[in-house]
Amino acid sequence: MDGYFFAVLIVGLISTVICAGAAVLKKNPNDITILSVAAVELTLAVYLIGSVIRVIAGEHIAGEPWEFWGYMATALIIPVGAVYWALLERTRWSNFVLAAVGVIALVMAARMNQIWY
Amino acid sequence: MRRLPATAPDQRARPANTRATGPGRLLIVVYAVFAIAATARAGFQIATKFSDAPLAYLLSAFAAVVYIVATVSLARPGTRAFRVSLAAVLVELAGVLVIGALSIADAQAFPHDTVWSGFGRGYGYVPLLLPVLGLLWLRRTRPAAE
Repeated sequence: MDGYFFAVLIVGLISTVICAGAAVLKKNPNDITILSVAAVELTLAVYLIGSVIRVIAGEHIAGEPWEFWGYMATALIIPVGAVYWALLERTRWSNFVLAAVGVIALVMAARMNQIWY
Repeated sequence: MRRLPATAPDQRARPANTRATGPGRLLIVVYAVFAIAATARAGFQIATKFSDAPLAYLLSAFAAVVYIVATVSLARPGTRAFRVSLAAVLVELAGVLVIGALSIADAQAFPHDTVWSGFGRGYGYVPLLLPVLGLLWLRRTRPAAE
C-alpha cells in the first residue's frame, strides 16, 4: 500500500463520514458534502497523474496494466456520476449516495494498489 | 384524468415512478456499482482465462447481466419496469443462495470465485443483502393493483 492509497483512504473516509452524517441529520446535499466528494475526485486525479508519471519514468506495473487503468477510469467516473445523480434529487437520501463514493473509492484504490505491486 | 391539488404542480409532470426516489436512489447506486464491478470482472475473466473455469466465468457474466437489468429497471418508471425489477431481484436472490450453497457444499466444482460464491463473501456479503433490500423496496413501492 503506497501513499496514494492512504490519501484516498483518508479523504474517502472523511467524505463518507461527512456525507453520511449530513444524511443522518436529515440535511440535503449542500456545498460541504459535494465539495467532500470533489476532494475524493481530486485525490484520484492526483493518483492518476502520479501513476502516469511513474509509468513514463519507467516503473513497471506488476499486474495487468489495462486492468489498473480500467479501475482508475471507473474510479474517476463514479464521483462525477454520484454528484450528478444526487443533484437530480436533492433529498437527504442523495447524501447517502454521496457517502457511498468515499467507500467505493478506497476499495478501488486498494485494488489498484494490489495490481500495481 | 385525475385532478391534482393545485398545491403540488410539479407532481403532475412526474411519471408514476416511486422507485428512483429516496432510499431507492441509494439502492440503485449500489446496484450500479455491482453491475459495473461484475461486468468488468466477468469481462476480464472471460477475456484472459476463460478456459480455466468456463462455468464459473459464465456464471460471473450471468450475474453481471442480472445486475445490469436490475439497475436499469429500478431506475425506470412504470409497471413493466417494476415487473422486470422484481424478476431480476428474484433471480439475483436465487442465484446468490444456490451458487452460495453449491460453492460451500462442493468447493471442487467452484474453484474460481464468482460474485455469488460463498454467499458473496468476497464482496462483504453485500450480494446477499442487496436482493433482500431490493425486495423490501419493491414491496414498498409496488404499483397499485389495476
